[in-house]
Order: sequence, then structure tokens, then C-alpha cells
Amino acid sequence: MKALAAPLLVGGLLLGVAIAVQCGAVPVTVGDWLGVFGLGGTGADAATGGAYVLWSIRIPRALFSVLVGASIGMAGALTQGLFRNPLADPGLLGVSAGAACAAALTIVVFAGLPVSIPLSWRLWLLPAAAFGGALGVCFSLDCIARWITPGSIAGLLLTGVALNAVAAAVIGLCTYLATDEQLRSLSFWTLGSLAGANWVLVVLLACLLLLAWWRVHPWVHAMNALALGASVAAQVGVDVRQLRSQVIVLVAVLAGFSVAWCGMIGFIGLIAPHLVRVWVGADQRQVVPLSMLMGGLLLLVADTLARTTAIPAEIPVGIFTALLGGPCFLLLLRGARGRMG
Amino acid sequence: MLMQTLAHPTVLQLDAAGIRLGTKSFGPFSLHISVGERIAVLGPSGAGKSTLLKLMACECQPATGRIWFNGHLFAAWRLADLSRYRAMLPQSSDVAFGLQTDLVIGLGRVARTHDTGLSDIVRASATLAHAGHLLERRFDTLSGGEQARIQLARVFAQLWDAREGLILVDEPLAALDPGLQFDLLDSLDAYAAARGHAVVAILHDINQAVQGFGRLLLVKNGQLVADLPSSAEVVSALESLYGIALRCVCDQQGGLVIAPLRKTVRRPT
Repeated sequence: MKALAAPLLVGGLLLGVAIAVQCGAVPVTVGDWLGVFGLGGTGADAATGGAYVLWSIRIPRALFSVLVGASIGMAGALTQGLFRNPLADPGLLGVSAGAACAAALTIVVFAGLPVSIPLSWRLWLLPAAAFGGALGVCFSLDCIARWITPGSIAGLLLTGVALNAVAAAVIGLCTYLATDEQLRSLSFWTLGSLAGANWVLVVLLACLLLLAWWRVHPWVHAMNALALGASVAAQVGVDVRQLRSQVIVLVAVLAGFSVAWCGMIGFIGLIAPHLVRVWVGADQRQVVPLSMLMGGLLLLVADTLARTTAIPAEIPVGIFTALLGGPCFLLLLRGARGRMG
Repeated sequence: MLMQTLAHPTVLQLDAAGIRLGTKSFGPFSLHISVGERIAVLGPSGAGKSTLLKLMACECQPATGRIWFNGHLFAAWRLADLSRYRAMLPQSSDVAFGLQTDLVIGLGRVARTHDTGLSDIVRASATLAHAGHLLERRFDTLSGGEQARIQLARVFAQLWDAREGLILVDEPLAALDPGLQFDLLDSLDAYAAARGHAVVAILHDINQAVQGFGRLLLVKNGQLVADLPSSAEVVSALESLYGIALRCVCDQQGGLVIAPLRKTVRRPT
């Protein structure tokens, strides 16, 4: 059963993508699929109707939700491993709040400035600001924690909690100052949505994920040693400081990217590693890659539900991840009650 | 005899090494540890035994003085290289996420990039630590004594193929039943002797220290108050170390047993 985890998850993902692209407001037919692959014979027509919906909207969106879920799942697995704490997730470090805070400031403050920005730039302005916010929070977190509580992983977590509170306060202030129209665009960041998916983002994120895995896999076994505690990890030869800063940078980039384009999507980063650990055990060499697959599957399901339950309207995906994740988490807790002190 | 002592090179050398933790200062400590030596560290609670052990493990850099390990300054060692020659058994063992026991034991060798025969070493270490039957179980489902055996097996695995290294033990056996304590100390003895590893152990049991270790380091108020070979003559030093009266008893086999006397017993004499 444990050995089957990876094939089962991959199979589930493929099946999920196949089902997800069938669902939606516009029905698609076999002819549309042929059109996607240039076999429909309808020529210019292929770029409209069902084939257009498939190629330009549904396929990139399904792939994007899988990739975003994978990067959140990976960031969650890395964060929990770093803090030896099953409750940690990138949200707790203030990464998501930092990104949303920067986006909120951009929406509210930039709107008041008498500067006109070209439309093509405007599309990238908010994600860039959010990405900058996520990285900014992460690096200030690292600096502050180094300065106040050098070497302590618990200190890093508590610093993250404090930064999170500050970022949440700034978001609150922006909400208070915002106009009705700005509020609507703010709610995108706080509830999350995958509606911005397109092929450019899919390719970008796929490259980013490959790069991240390439960076992670040499030291993912060393992360197991962190479970023994920081001092024992150092005694068995793991450079905890270096590992810590590498993990933080990676979590900032992964979580920052997904928050920048999709807003705050809760619970996936927390629950995907949990499910994997219950399934295959706590070895980080398995938990990290399988959390990517699991996160991708979970977000794909949540996003498909979010865009199909109330056609033609779309419910923010963050609502569904929390609705699915909360009860799921309670079930996991019930299963682990014998082991919790 | 003298020739033999000279032939033994130094594993660890503390050169007036001291450290401040909060408002308390520890040291300066100066001592040599030779290859294969067996040293017990004794002292009252809070005297600085664990701090001394941390300095020896190079877990914290000394604020003053220098520490040499195998002829090189400690600061010059890479953590990964150091871990091949120096292992430490911590006082408390807590493993997050309920890792599998064989993974925990194997983590002793995590710094080696190409480790052939890892599973054999894990199995052999577990057997030596009386933990062979505990493999492939979750660490957090084990009892305290079983967890201590797994941690000891991890230390065994870490220095399994090393020679003339250093094992530091921070009284992890204190909470175990006497039979298990002796079993594990015997395993540690056999393991260290076969490989020439020096052993430095913090102990609370005076008899274990005097009977099983050749040299005693007595620590009080953050200072090294005595560094002496273990024999019947250590009794007066131990009395002033703990501030108690001790009585020596010889058993039928001629072995020395040191028994502490309670104040209520002492007063009439």
C-alpha cells in the first residue's frame, strides 16, 4: 500500500485533470478535443467554441491548480519538517500575509497616486508586489530571528507569528481605507482564486517547481535529522543554520509565487503533508514529493468544485479548501489522539 | 606502562576553554583525553557537567581558550567530518513526527553521501544496543527505556566504522532499570573498546563511575575541581564534591562499594 502511494497519486491526478476539464459552463465534445490537437479539420473554427475553452481556459487552469497545489504542498512539507511541528505551514510564517499585505498596499495606495501605468504593466504589478512582499517578510523574518534568537528554531516560529500579526493589521488598515471597488479586488487576495491561470504562468510555475525539487532533493534526507532536534542534528553532521536558510528561501519563493497569482489558499499546505505522513510514514524523502502530488490533487478537486457548484458564478477556492480541509483535519486528529501527549 | 601512555595520542584537548551562559560562567577547563580512555564526569545538579560536555562536543564555541580535536582546532572542523569521529548521546530524546526506529538509527550516518551497507550497520547497531526487536516501529510508540536503546543504537551506527573517536554520554541511563543500565553500559564498553573510542559519560551513580571508568572529572560551580584516577582514594574528594558523608564497603569478591550516608544516620557518629 505504501509503495503504491506515488502511482496512485499520479493516476489520481491524471484522472482528476481529465474530469476537471470536462466540467464547466460550456459543454465540450469529442470534436472539441480533436480541435485542440488540430485534428478537427475546422481550421480557424478550432480557435473558437469548445476547443478554445478547452485549450485556453480549462486545460491551463487545471494544470495551474495542480502546480499551485504542488508548490503549496511542498512548501508545507518543508515548513513542518523545519519546525518539527505538524502545525506549521507557510501561512504561519507570515509569508502569505506578507504577500497579501503588499498587494493590499498596492491596491489602496497606488490607486491614490497620480501616476498612470500602462495596462500591460498593471497585469504584473500586483503579483510582483505580492511576490516582493512574501520575500520581504521571509528575509526580515530570518534577519530578525537571527538577531533576537540566534540559532533557535522556536524563536524563528514565534518571530513569524509576530510578523504575521503586523501584516494582518496592515491588511485590516487597507480594508478600512479602501473604496468599494478596491475592497472587491482585496477579497481576491484574502480568499484566493485560480481564475488568473494561463499558459505563461503554467510554464513558469512548472519550471520553478522543477528547479525547487532539484534544489531540495540533495538535502531532503538531512531534514529528517531535524526531527531529532537541532542539537542532535548538528552532532550527526547536519549544518542546521545553512539548512534553515535554504528552506526558508525555498518556502518564500514557492509560497510567494502561489500567493502572488492566486491569493491566500489556506489548509492545503497544512493538510497535504499530514495525509501523506499518515499514509507512508514520516520520512521526508517521501513526504516532500508525495506532498506535492497530494497538494496538487487536493487543490484540483477544490478548484473544480469552486467553479462548477454555482455556474456561472465562481466561489473563491479558499472557501472550498477550508471546507474540505477542516473536517479532514479533525479526522486526522482523531486518528492520532493515542499518540498526542 | 609509561611507554603505553605516551603512545596514546590525544583525542581531545581543552586549553583553558570557558563559556558564559546568561549570568553564569563555566570554566576555564583544561584537560587532555587520550585515545580509548574511559572518563566519568561527576558533580551536583547544575554544576556545569552538561556544559562541559557541550564544549567537548563542540556544540557551542568557547568564549575563551581553545579546543583541539584530533590535532585540529575545533572551529576548523566541518560538521559533517566531525560527525564521523564524535557522537553524543543526549540527556533527553524526543523525535518529532514518529519516525521509524530504523530511520532514526540510520540518521546517525546522514552526513555520509555514499553509505554502502547502511541497513547492515543499522541492524548490527540495534542488536548491540539490545534493540533488535524494536526495528520498524514508530519511535513515539516506544517506552522510555526502548527510546534510550534506539538513541544508543544511533550513536553506535554513527561511529560504527570509525577508529579512535569520541563518544559523549549525558546521563541518559539514569531513568532506566538497573538491569538495562548494566546491559547498555556493557554494550557501550565492548563497542568503544573494539574501536578505540574514548568515552566521556556524565553519571549520577558513584559506584558505576568508580567501577566502570578509569578516570573521574569532578565538576562543581562551573569549575573542574578534580581530575583523578578512580580508586578508593577518591572518596574524600567525592564527599566534598557532594557535601555528603560516604562509607566504603568491600564485598566478598573484594570489589569496592561506596554507600552514601543520610544525615539522620550520620548524626550519632
